[in-house]
Amino acid sequence: MAREMPHATGKVPPGDVTQRVGIEVMEARGVNVEELREKLIDAIAAEFASTYYYYTILRMYLAGHEDYKEICEDARLEDRAHFELMTPRVYELGGSLPYNLHEFADRAGCPHAYLPGTDNGQHAPEMGDGKGPSAADILEVLLDSERCAIRTWSEICDLTAGGKDPRTYDLASRILNEEIEHEAWFIELLSMERDGVVRPSGHFRRGEPGEAPYSKNRPLYNP
Amino acid sequence: MAEKTFTVKVEFPEGGEETFEAGAGEYILGAARRAGLQLPSLCEQGWDLACAVKIVEGEVDQSDSRRYFEEDRKCGFALICTGKACSDLVIVPYQSKQMRKCRDEHGLPAPRGT
Repeated sequence: MAREMPHATGKVPPGDVTQRVGIEVMEARGVNVEELREKLIDAIAAEFASTYYYYTILRMYLAGHEDYKEICEDARLEDRAHFELMTPRVYELGGSLPYNLHEFADRAGCPHAYLPGTDNGQHAPEMGDGKGPSAADILEVLLDSERCAIRTWSEICDLTAGGKDPRTYDLASRILNEEIEHEAWFIELLSMERDGVVRPSGHFRRGEPGEAPYSKNRPLYNP
Repeated sequence: MAEKTFTVKVEFPEGGEETFEAGAGEYILGAARRAGLQLPSLCEQGWDLACAVKIVEGEVDQSDSRRYFEEDRKCGFALICTGKACSDLVIVPYQSKQMRKCRDEHGLPAPRGT
């Protein structure tokens, strides 16, 4: 009886540049490549447009909380690293970034992390008392954003686990490692800032801003 | 005074149904989980369409949802992660593709992968 060999079931002839064995082997293992690719684009749109961009604004309003600002900055830069890490995979799977930034932002799988008090980004925050949104309000936005990211990358890992798509799984699991750390950071900070309760993240500070110890490995091109 | 509760009947597309109680002030997804019923969700902020349901009967308050349009309501869809029952409900889960089609027909934004 012939042995099951999904790596040897392909139909791509030698020299054919219109098809990819890298996709064929995934399909042979039951991956819906188009659906996965669309989920990846939603996910990197969230990293770039929902968090990296809006975290840039959020950190501007953490004045007086320099420790929070630094940690927000780490999360911001690492979310950008996640966008950079997974974008090549979208192209490998036959997709592309949308050619219009508005279209990209609109399809993000997670909500935009709008600055509190801006009516979902419609206007500047009320600055009448000179304080702007509270640190606790901003930390809540950061925490909920990270939680959406954890669910997003967990779903990608679920869809690719078990040898179905080791490459996407590896990239997504690196990102997931950092998103889980980000959640722990913001639980720790929000818990103390809002509730006065210590809930340690168990982490120490990054070596440099946006170090991305899992998703920015040196052998990968990811400046 | 005890919170008012509503009965939510879930009709699965492949057949079968489940029923649970949802408080007037709680999200329908949370009430389903409390009753031991697992329904799909992702962002849990009322933005993506993973938790979309078709409303067969009843009304849902979506005022806590991050991105919900009047056209969604007119098409008969709800996002139960941040939707609260305003009456007894009959809903059909696993409607993300159908809700996205409604968004597309009205030129409204939606994730493409859920």
